[in-house]
Order: sequence, then C-alpha cells, then structure tokens
Amino acid sequence: MTWNALILFGVLATSLVASAVIFLLAESRHTTRSVFNLAAAVLKLLLVGWIVWGVYQNIDYEFRFTIIEGVDFILRADALGMMFVGLSSLLWLFTTIYAIGYLEKAPNRSRFFGFFSLCVASTVGIALAGNLFTFLLFYELLTLSTYPLVVHRGTRESLRAGQVYLYYTLGGGALLLFGVVALHVLVGDTEFVPGGVLSGLDPSLHPLLIGIFLMMIIGLGVKAALFPLHAWLPMAMVAPAPVSALLHAVAVVKAGAFGIARLVYDVYGIEFAFSLGLLGPLAVAASITIIYGSLRALAQDDLKKRLAFSTVSQVSYIILGISLFGPVGTLGGLVHLLHQGLMKITLFFCAGNYAETLGVHKISELDGAGQRMPATSVAFTLGAFGMIGIPPMAGFISKWYLGMGALQAEMNWVLGVLILSSLLNAAYFLPILYRIWFRRRQRLWCEGKVLGRFETSGWLLLPTLATAAFALVAGVLAGMPFSPLYWADLIVSREYLP
Amino acid sequence: MSGFLGTAALLLAPGVPLALGVLWGVPRLRRHIGPLAPWAAAPALLLALLGTPGETVELSWLLFGGYLGLTETTRVFLFFTALIWFAAGIHGRGHLAEGDHCERFCVFWLFTLAGNIGLIVALDVALFYTSFALMTFAAYGLIVHDQNETAQRAGRVYLVLAVLGEALILMGLLLAARATAAPLLPMLAELPQAIAGAPERDLIIASLWLGFGVKAGLPLLHFSLPLAYGAAPVPVAAALAGAMIKAGLLGWLVTLPLGFVGLQHWGTIIILTGLFAAFAAALIGVNQKQPRIVLAYSSISQMGLVSVGIGAWMVAPEQGPLLAVAITVFALHHSLAKAALFLGTEVVRHRTRRPVLWLWVGLGIPALALAGLMPSGLVAKASLKYGLLTDAPVPEVWSYLPLLLGLAAIGTTALMARHLWLLRLEAGRDDAQPTAWHGWALITAATVLGILLLPLWGIEVPWMAAVGGLPDALWPVAAGLVLAALAWRWLRPLPIPPADVLVLLTPLPGLALRAGQALGVTGPAVRRALRHLEAKALDRYRSADHRLGRFTEHLWRRDASLLFALLLAVVALIGIRIA
Repeated sequence: MTWNALILFGVLATSLVASAVIFLLAESRHTTRSVFNLAAAVLKLLLVGWIVWGVYQNIDYEFRFTIIEGVDFILRADALGMMFVGLSSLLWLFTTIYAIGYLEKAPNRSRFFGFFSLCVASTVGIALAGNLFTFLLFYELLTLSTYPLVVHRGTRESLRAGQVYLYYTLGGGALLLFGVVALHVLVGDTEFVPGGVLSGLDPSLHPLLIGIFLMMIIGLGVKAALFPLHAWLPMAMVAPAPVSALLHAVAVVKAGAFGIARLVYDVYGIEFAFSLGLLGPLAVAASITIIYGSLRALAQDDLKKRLAFSTVSQVSYIILGISLFGPVGTLGGLVHLLHQGLMKITLFFCAGNYAETLGVHKISELDGAGQRMPATSVAFTLGAFGMIGIPPMAGFISKWYLGMGALQAEMNWVLGVLILSSLLNAAYFLPILYRIWFRRRQRLWCEGKVLGRFETSGWLLLPTLATAAFALVAGVLAGMPFSPLYWADLIVSREYLP
Repeated sequence: MSGFLGTAALLLAPGVPLALGVLWGVPRLRRHIGPLAPWAAAPALLLALLGTPGETVELSWLLFGGYLGLTETTRVFLFFTALIWFAAGIHGRGHLAEGDHCERFCVFWLFTLAGNIGLIVALDVALFYTSFALMTFAAYGLIVHDQNETAQRAGRVYLVLAVLGEALILMGLLLAARATAAPLLPMLAELPQAIAGAPERDLIIASLWLGFGVKAGLPLLHFSLPLAYGAAPVPVAAALAGAMIKAGLLGWLVTLPLGFVGLQHWGTIIILTGLFAAFAAALIGVNQKQPRIVLAYSSISQMGLVSVGIGAWMVAPEQGPLLAVAITVFALHHSLAKAALFLGTEVVRHRTRRPVLWLWVGLGIPALALAGLMPSGLVAKASLKYGLLTDAPVPEVWSYLPLLLGLAAIGTTALMARHLWLLRLEAGRDDAQPTAWHGWALITAATVLGILLLPLWGIEVPWMAAVGGLPDALWPVAAGLVLAALAWRWLRPLPIPPADVLVLLTPLPGLALRAGQALGVTGPAVRRALRHLEAKALDRYRSADHRLGRFTEHLWRRDASLLFALLLAVVALIGIRIA
C-alpha cells in the first residue's frame, strides 16, 4: 500500500478513531474528550489540505480492497470529492468547537460526540467513495449515525422527529439500494468516472436506465429534501443547534445533493443524462422545491424552523445547477454546495447563540438583539444577505453562475425562478434583520448565566464569526486561487473536458 | 495623476470609506471614526479633481475579477458625488460624532458612501452591481435613523422598491452579460452593444430602465423619494437627492444601448414618461406642505427632464455626443443645486447672528439655478435643447420638445417659489449650530462655480447656445413667478399626501383613517385596529401554511416507509417488464 493511499485512509480514520475513543471515554473526562476531538479535527484538516494540493497537481490518491469478487471497497480523491471533504472537515472543526461550548455541562456528551465523529466519518466516506457500493455503505452509515444526534435530547418531540427521520431516510435508502443493485447487474461494479459509465449501453435499455435514475433520485432526494420528500427536515430541527448546523450545512442534506451530483456526472454522465431527457424534469423538481421552501419559510415564526425551510429551498439551488446542461450551470450548482454550507451553518450557529444566551427561539422575540449581541447579529446579517444573494456575499456568486448557466442552457424560465426566490428570501430574511437592528427590545431576556467576557461564550462566538467571515471571503475573493469558485471551476474543467 | 499615484487614488476613493466602515467593528477605534467620517469622501474628491480618465486598476482576486477606472463622464459624476458627500458630512457632523445612535449612523454612512463611490469607479459589471447593492441597503439604515413612524414607513416603502429594483437590475444585467463576449467577466463598456444585438433586447431594456428607475424616481416607482427625503436626517436627504439619485441615472447611461439605431419606440416611451414625470411631479409638488417633500418632487420632475435627454439619444443616435454633454452638465447642475437646497432647509432653521439678507441670497442661488437663471442651470437647459436640434427624421413629438421643456421650467420655478415660501415659515426655529454653515456654503459655492470645471476636463460646454438661450430661459421663470404669486393670493394647496398615488395602491389605511375621522374615532385607535387586521392576515397565512404542511407532510409522514416500499415495487415491476 502506498503512502498516498494511507494518507487518504487517514482522512477517514481520524474521525473513525476519534469516534471509537470518545465512546470509550468516561462521561466525566470532559477535557480529554475536548482535546482529543479538536486534535482529530485539526489533524484531519491538515491531511485534507495535503490531499487538496495533491489533487490540484493531478496526483492519484486511491485506497482499494476487494470484498468479494466483483465488489470493491474504493476510496478515491478527485476534485469533486475533495470539495465536499474540504467543506466537511472545515465545518467539522468549527462545529466541534461550537458543540463543546453549547453542550457544556449537558448530560450524555460522550454519546453525543461519539456519534458526531461517526457522522463526519460517514460524510467523508460519502465524499471519497470511489464506486456506488462504497457510497451506499457510508450513505446508510450516515443515516444511522445521525439518528442518535437528532433524538439526543430525548424529549417526546425529538423522538417523534427521529422516528420520522428514520422512516424517510431508510425508505429512501431502500430505493437507492435497489438502484445500485440494478446498475450493478447492468454494468458490474459501478466506479465513478467523469463522463459516466452508462452511455455505451444498448439503446433498448434506455427506458430502464430512466427508471433507475428516477428511483435513485427519489432515494437521494430524501436526504437532499426535495419536495415532497422534505418533511423530515423541518421536524429534525428539534435537535441541538450544532446538530442542526451540521445537518443543514454539511452532513445529511449535502450528502443527498452530493449523491445527485455523483449520479449525474460520474455514473450517468451529464451529456448522457441530458440526451435521456433526465435533466429537464430534475430542474423542474428543483425549481418547485426552491419556491415551495421559500413560501413555507415565510410563514414560520420559529427561527430554526424558518431556517430549516430556507435550507429546503437553498439545497435545491445545487440540484438546479446540476440539472442545467453546460459548464456554467454546473459551476453554479457545485459552488453553491460550499457556499450554502458556509452561510447556513453561520445562520444556525447564530440561532443557537440567541437561544443559549437570550433564551430566544422565536423571530418575534428578537427585537433589539443587535444591541445586546452585535457580533452574532453581524454574522447573522452576513449569512442572511448571502442567502438572498446580495453581493459581495458568497450567495451572489452562486446566483450569478446559476442564472448565467440557465441562460446558456436555453432555460430562461429558470432565471425567473431565481429572481422570485431572491425576492422571497428577502421577504423572509429582511424582516428578521429589521427586528434585530432597528426595533427596541420589547421584553426581558432570561440572562441567568454569565457566559464569559464576550457577548456570549467564546466557544459559541468564535466559530460563528469564523464561518461568517468565510462566507464573506468566499464571495469577495472569488477570483483568488483555491476559492470555492476556483475549485468548482477545476472540477468542471475535468468533467467537461475529459 | 498617473502611474502609482493614479492607482492609489482609484483604490483609496472607495477603499477609505469601506476601510473606515470595517474598522468601526473594532469597539476601541469606534469613537475615533465618527470625527473622521466626513473626510471619508475626500480621497474620491481628489481623484475626481486630479485623476486621469483612461487609467485602470485590475483586481483579479475581487469577485469575478474587478476593474476600477474613470471615464470622461464618470469623472463628473464622481466629482459632484464626492463633493456632496463631503459637504453633507461636514454639515452632519452632529449626526456622525454625537447624538442618538450616532455610532450606527456613522457605519451606515460610511458603507453607503463606499457603495456610491464604488459604483462610479467600477468598470466591470460585478463590482458595479455590488457597489450599487451596498449603497442601496446601507442607505436604509440612514433613512430610518430617526426611528419615528414616518421614518419607518419611508424605510419600508424604500426597501420594498429597492429589493424589486435590485432584482430587475440583476435580471437585466444577467441577460445582457450573456450576450457579451465574456459572460462571466462582463465589462460595463461592453453592455450597450451586447444589449443592442441581444434577442431579448426589449426585456433587457425594460428591466434596466425600470430597475435603475427605482433610484432615479421613475413615475410609480418614485414613492420612496418623497417619503425618504422627508423622513431622513437632512444630510442624508442631501446625499440621497444629490448623489444617490444620480446612481440611477448613471446606471442608465452606462448600460442602456444609447447610440444604437432601431430603438425609436423605446426612445419615445422614455421621452413621454420623462415629460409626464416633469409635469405631474411639479403639479403634485406645489401642493406639498413640507419644504423637503417639495424638493423631492422637484427631483422627480428634474429627473424626468434628464430622461428626455436619454430618450432623445435613443431616437436620434447621431445626436449622442451633444446629448451626452447635456446629460452630464444637467446631472452636475441638478445634483449640486439640490444638495444645496436640502442642506439649506436646516441652515435656515438655525438662529444666527449673520445678516439675514446673505442667508436668503444663499438660499436663493440654487433655487434660481434650478429655475434656469444661474449659469449652471442656463447651460444645462440650453445644452439639452441644443442636443435636440437635429435634421434626422424624428417622431412628431420632437418638434414640441423645446416648448415642453420651457413649460416644464415654469413648473420648476413654481416649485422653487413654493419651497422658499415654506422655508420662510420655518426660519429661525432652532438654536444656532455653527458647523451647519460650512457644508452648505461649500456646496452653494459649487453650485455657482462647479460648471467652470467642465472645460478643464475636456467637456465642450455650449456656452454660446446658453447665452443665446437666455431669452428662452426668462419667460418660463417670469410665468412661474406670476403663477406662484397668483396661487399665493387665491389658491390653497390640495391635500395630496407625500407619496401621492401610493395611497391608491394601498388604500386601506387611508380609507380607514378617513372613515374613523368621520365617525369621530381618533387616529391612534384606527391605527391599532389596522395593526390588528394586519396581524390577522398574517395569522391567515400562517394557518394556510399549517394546512399545507399537514397536507404535504402528514400524508407522507405517517406512512413514508410504506409509500417508499410501494414505489420500490412499482419501479421494480416496470424495470422487470422492460428488461
């Protein structure tokens, strides 16, 4: 086994080992656990940085062993996968810091952080999977490792949400499994190859391929919260804030969106998918989800619930981008995979800060919060502007590329969807900002605990500011090497010019 | 200025206010930034005075790749924009460094300024749009600064229109950029030609005209102007009316396909809308009871006249060079005069020991300029008429244009008379505040002298046409004054609310208040009832949402796994069938 394969395995192993060790640690070993957790996250980030540089220089990283004849376990680092790995490692570090502060003195922290690491390990596995089999393995592992996180609080509501979550994701997983098996029967072990592996099949099989595509999209669409498969997501927001942040920004919904990207680009191949006429309906489904999510978000008074519906809407931007035939649309969708993660995690961190510091959960109670918590509120403002797509935030870059991609794919109606969605986003984010900054405080906040010398605990504040800064910098410095846009451009050039 | 200095000046002009705005985030520095804020416009002013058009700076790391630079036209825009912000900043020192929420005011001030300067020096579309958005959204914080009910309403109307405008502009820019050679890094200079040849030409022109029209006070998109100018602190109103309104005009100038043939219909539409705005705004404006709102309508009216120039450029492309000069001169003249008028509304309220005569001379200068009797106004109007003289075949309305422009000047004179009359009633209301003088005096002086800079910058001002146009300029002023005198003697203003037909678009509050008055119910009670109704409507939406949620979610929620199993079976059956 080569060094490169070992390094690649190391990326996965850091969080797997962390998970195992944390499960074994006694509940009271708070400091050891935190140190270990953070060390693992930093180590992983360093390894990822190393590989990103290698992938940039076209070095192959592959780890493979044969399970049974014809079924391999493959980890491989390509540009698309590294994009997702990079996002999850970066945000894992910040979310870990945040969670340490958030769960201070809460019960069952060992269990929480153990599954938390396992969840990140699955995400990394999904990103690095080199074939459908490996992908499916980690996809299901993700379902199982997030369930304990969703029900972490153990309340009736969270157990109920967890149950619904399982129904949906296991159902979707079953459909996906069926699709994977069907493809396996058709072409054997389905490795991910830019340009896809199916275009050479006999034309008489095309209807079957369409059926399989539909099935797998439904399977993946559950996690990506495509309408009408999204119902679990707003319910799952009963989970603790760091979990919601991770679920909405990196782990679950992104795994679905990323899976769709893999399916379209590396299994079917975008040109083949286009010739089968699969992209148009996908674009329609994504557009419906975008508008539907925004309309629902408008009605919510619970801050996290509004953010949850906003996720439903925003994740479909990615799927919309994937369904636009042409390099620019692809670029828009892929870059939004990163941008949405950075912006949404910021917003959820902020929601958590408001809840922990002021005891505020509802939007109508946020009046005057900007005076009390200016730094958090600035972060929230940046995140919200990004979601609306106001420049120079990262969201604007996504929107510009998606719009241009739609025009170049001759799908001008998509531009209307994007504009309408921006207006709706403005309609549900700007009133929150108005309350935060311009209303006078209406009620007493329950500020019992002293949370350090900042406006709230430093553990909560620093990750929030860091991700907000990333969301700003990803937009302002989009032209720099190794910006999200730059990396997405690299992926696209490798996908469209094999 | 060239080479290193030129590059530095281009970067510092938007960079200094932006950097000060960012540094404001450091609490320890905050109290030092307030006193510096008025000076944040100084680098831009220096750039306008000493910079060389044609020089560019490339910032490849910024957005999709940013380009900064000056052109002959944008240098003039930069000059008056920076000067107005500078003067308004000096005038508003009280707001910036002390007083309620001065810290918040200061940061919004700096960001709005940075956006306004940035959009002028931007050469690429992304940076232009970014700066435009920064200016638009930061200005909201300035408009609602006073936090009273009027300011909140103004802010709400402003924001709704601004968001709509931004969306329209984005749509127009995207469609236009697609038609350029490099859609992912479009330069502003490429847009007009691309639009002229684009298949969606009409859609693009419509979205850009309307989108920028929100800023420039196009009829029916103008509601935020009178409301915001009336509610914002005076220095903000001066910056809004002098500088930011011209951002809309600049947007038209740099994006619309001016100078290309075959846009007669658009030209005619824009001319007619402009004329409508010029007259309707004058008619509504003279009935207003607050000086600042009168001025707002005067702005709408004047922007209508400028858009006659834009429309004429589309109808008669060969007149382009002359009309470009006319529009630039007009923009300079109107901006400086309007900013002076706005700052004057506060100066007049301060009791002072200075001779009253000089105060009124100072207040009268920009008013006379707008009416067309000071050199700047005279040149502006004459160059517009001069630009309209063409031998090319033109629509019928064309031959009436000089006369209509003259009639519009009657309206302007009447508005100015009304403004000064209302101002007289407010004189000496507040205690003296000496700093308020400097900014106002500076901008008033610039109103007189600013026009002299244009020849230095290589813009050929048609002086002779202006001298020849003097008789033409006199009769409307005389007629306007006579009208004003007659009106003062015999007419009473009609009760037209500050945002005129907005009450017809949102009729409920007005009707309810009126009905309440008739029934003897007080205003606050009616407002409470309205708020209750609003809450009820929101509840309706929420409960509809809830039902929708039940419909789409509960249905699936209960039996999701069963449903997936069913789906699986169906798809499997289809698969087996086909295989």
